[in-house]
Amino acid sequence: MDEYIVEIEHVSKSFPGVLALNNVSFNLRSGEVLALLGENGAGKSTLMKILSGVYTKDSGTIRVFGQIIEDLNTKKAQELGIAIIHQELNMCAHLTVAQNIFLGQEITEYGMISDRKMNAEAKKILSSLNIDIDPEMVVGDLAVSKQQMVEIAKALSTNAKVLIMDEPTSALTSKEIEDLFIIINKLKQEGCGIVYISHRLEELENIVDRVTILRDGEFIKSMSFHETSLGEIISCMVGRDIKEKFPRVTCTRGERILEVKQLNAGRMVRNINFELFAGEIVGIAGLMGAGRTEMTRAIFGVDSKDSGEIILDGKVVRIEKPMDAIKCGIVLVPEDRKKDGLCTKLSIRDNIALPNLDILCNKVGIVSNKKEKTMTEKAVIDLKIKLPNIEVNAGSLSGGNQQKVVVGKWLRRKSRVVIFDEPTRGIDVAAKVEIYNLMNELKKQGIGVLFVSSEMPEVMGISDRIIVMCDGKITGELNTDEATQDMILQYATSFDKKSADLMSS
Amino acid sequence: MDKRGKQNVLKRILAIRGMGQVITVTIGFIILCIVFGLVNPIFFSGKNVANLLRQIAPILIIGIGQSYVLITGNIDLSIGSVVGMSCMISATLMTKGVNPLIAILITICCCLAVGVLNGELVSKCKLPPFIATLGTMTIARGIAQIVNNNYNTGSIGEGAKGFRNFFYYGKTAGLYNAIWITLAMWIVFNFILSKTRSGRHIYAIGSNIDAARLSGVNVHSTTIKAYLVSAICACTVGLMTCATTGMGTMDAGNSYEMYAVAASVIGGVSTLGGQGILLGTVIGASIWGVLQNGLQFAGAPVAIRNITIGIIVVVSVLLDVIVRTGKPRKKKMNPVT
Repeated sequence: MDEYIVEIEHVSKSFPGVLALNNVSFNLRSGEVLALLGENGAGKSTLMKILSGVYTKDSGTIRVFGQIIEDLNTKKAQELGIAIIHQELNMCAHLTVAQNIFLGQEITEYGMISDRKMNAEAKKILSSLNIDIDPEMVVGDLAVSKQQMVEIAKALSTNAKVLIMDEPTSALTSKEIEDLFIIINKLKQEGCGIVYISHRLEELENIVDRVTILRDGEFIKSMSFHETSLGEIISCMVGRDIKEKFPRVTCTRGERILEVKQLNAGRMVRNINFELFAGEIVGIAGLMGAGRTEMTRAIFGVDSKDSGEIILDGKVVRIEKPMDAIKCGIVLVPEDRKKDGLCTKLSIRDNIALPNLDILCNKVGIVSNKKEKTMTEKAVIDLKIKLPNIEVNAGSLSGGNQQKVVVGKWLRRKSRVVIFDEPTRGIDVAAKVEIYNLMNELKKQGIGVLFVSSEMPEVMGISDRIIVMCDGKITGELNTDEATQDMILQYATSFDKKSADLMSS
Repeated sequence: MDKRGKQNVLKRILAIRGMGQVITVTIGFIILCIVFGLVNPIFFSGKNVANLLRQIAPILIIGIGQSYVLITGNIDLSIGSVVGMSCMISATLMTKGVNPLIAILITICCCLAVGVLNGELVSKCKLPPFIATLGTMTIARGIAQIVNNNYNTGSIGEGAKGFRNFFYYGKTAGLYNAIWITLAMWIVFNFILSKTRSGRHIYAIGSNIDAARLSGVNVHSTTIKAYLVSAICACTVGLMTCATTGMGTMDAGNSYEMYAVAASVIGGVSTLGGQGILLGTVIGASIWGVLQNGLQFAGAPVAIRNITIGIIVVVSVLLDVIVRTGKPRKKKMNPVT
């Protein structure tokens, strides 16, 4: 138990312009779950990519099972039994589950690939993990959470002794997270060493033995999890105390801004009715796949509506495409920043200017350089975005700062309603608080805020009113003072009888 | 200008996105010129330089068109055929005695129609741009052949003398008109791409089409705009070709689509979309022209010229990748969505 299976000593790594890791040490015992914590850009992912051979270190030593490993590459790491589950899913959408699991290590029979054997083998792995997925399914047809499970199965198919999980729960529902924890505890008993990276500190206590904290590329502390308070961990991560995890401002509720009536759009948005008033934040809670994102997309005009009315400031507005919504003052900060939020190859300045070109252009459509620069600089200051300069690629920023750019680009125009879809996913505590403050600021200005989130404490901490969705419908509405997690969960799982039958069958 | 002012200007030029690669390619271009000059001093003679510029002109114009489309993340394979179509339609009309001005207008309309068709197929019908424009490429070439019943036209005649002078032979302020036209088109399209809202939209849809749509960009009209620019560029080159030869040739513009891709790519325009500036396309087209011209002067046969240019295309992109990342590019893995 006490023997270290991985020892990393004094490792440094720099990228052009940044020192990502500075003299970091790290170790892992067999049969323990170690949480690697730190803010965005602290160097967690870089360190793990070095351990799994994706990056090469500049200096320092890596010892695996007591043996000094020099030129570590991905293949060698795999042979040593180090497997990594990346934050983003890396799978071939067109191949089946079994084909993905055995990608690069296909099972052959008479020199030919044997799908039959792979399916059987995959079934064995999946059932040993209590995952109920047909190995012959095509991965692209699975829900994201199921894909994540396949990814875990894939990592384990190599008989990994060291398993690195980078934010494995960010796309999972609470039921699936429980399943995942059962798997993790099982692996732990089998003697695996597990490195677990997550921003959801609340979930750590179910599995974690020890924490190691990094900050700004440096090693801060390593300590036993159960002897440490969450507050202590957070202050180590951010380097200062965070006074309030969920800052809250009280405003008097103003007039009605938005009213959605009988909105229908496909199977996931059915019969939606709600109102939004000035000076309030309305949280939209629900499980993964409850139709929350689909609803915001329908309101914003990304997906087409089947029926229903959207009434803004007492007037019915026609929204057929995002441009219409933006014009009448409804904006959406989308859920998936890489896919829907950012042009990663363009500069920060271009990104922030993009939805605001109507303000920045003169009548003939020429962009004013000066206005654009002022706008971008203001956004950078307001949101405390950390960047070398506004001309660098948006894709080069860390996750939290990318998210701030996505939020920032929508706050530079006068809007009536701002919809945030999972604005804090995958970003660190300090950045989360900054985003909450921003929402509060909007609330104070009398702008209606819709806040979609899967994290219960966050919804309850920030919103004034909570709407709960399940299976494409609104199943409950609560005032925050009276809401409890149990009540929300109850509403979030109140499926129709018919669809509940469908799901259980 | 004092020293600090100068430094600021330099800083600002260097800060322009994509400038890094343009500078690398420019250095390559200068070296190339020096080498050819040393091999054969006539290379630098006034007459050859003027000749060279006229050779570069059409490549640069179609390069501009292709760059627009590449930056949106698409490709336009129909460019070469549209050149041929433009050349044949205008020549056929003029041999039939139509007023050159009207002939030009009709030609432009036909070419723009191809542009709209390309844009609609790619944006509305969601066809892969490679396939869609492969289709229109063949169609446009067919039209070029059919307008004069499968024959090249005869001379476009004396009436079209003004036309020929305007597009090619005439000189203004000591420079051939062909060069002035190219310059004017470059200035206009560079301005649109770098300074206007439409330009920004073109970069945005090339970089991330979903994010652009959610930011209120009209993806459909932006795609069509890019293909229209490409069509108008091809149309101009077709008219120039007609003015140069004084007749319509059915295979005018053959494989120009690939020359256009080469000029763009050498100049740093990414075929993946979202990256590149038109200044790069100028250098790309120039390298192309200098290689053709210089190798000809050095006495290299056509085959050697083709091989050399092919190598240059690959090497210039490879060099850029190595300069930027320090190693050949690994294909980025996309998460399953």
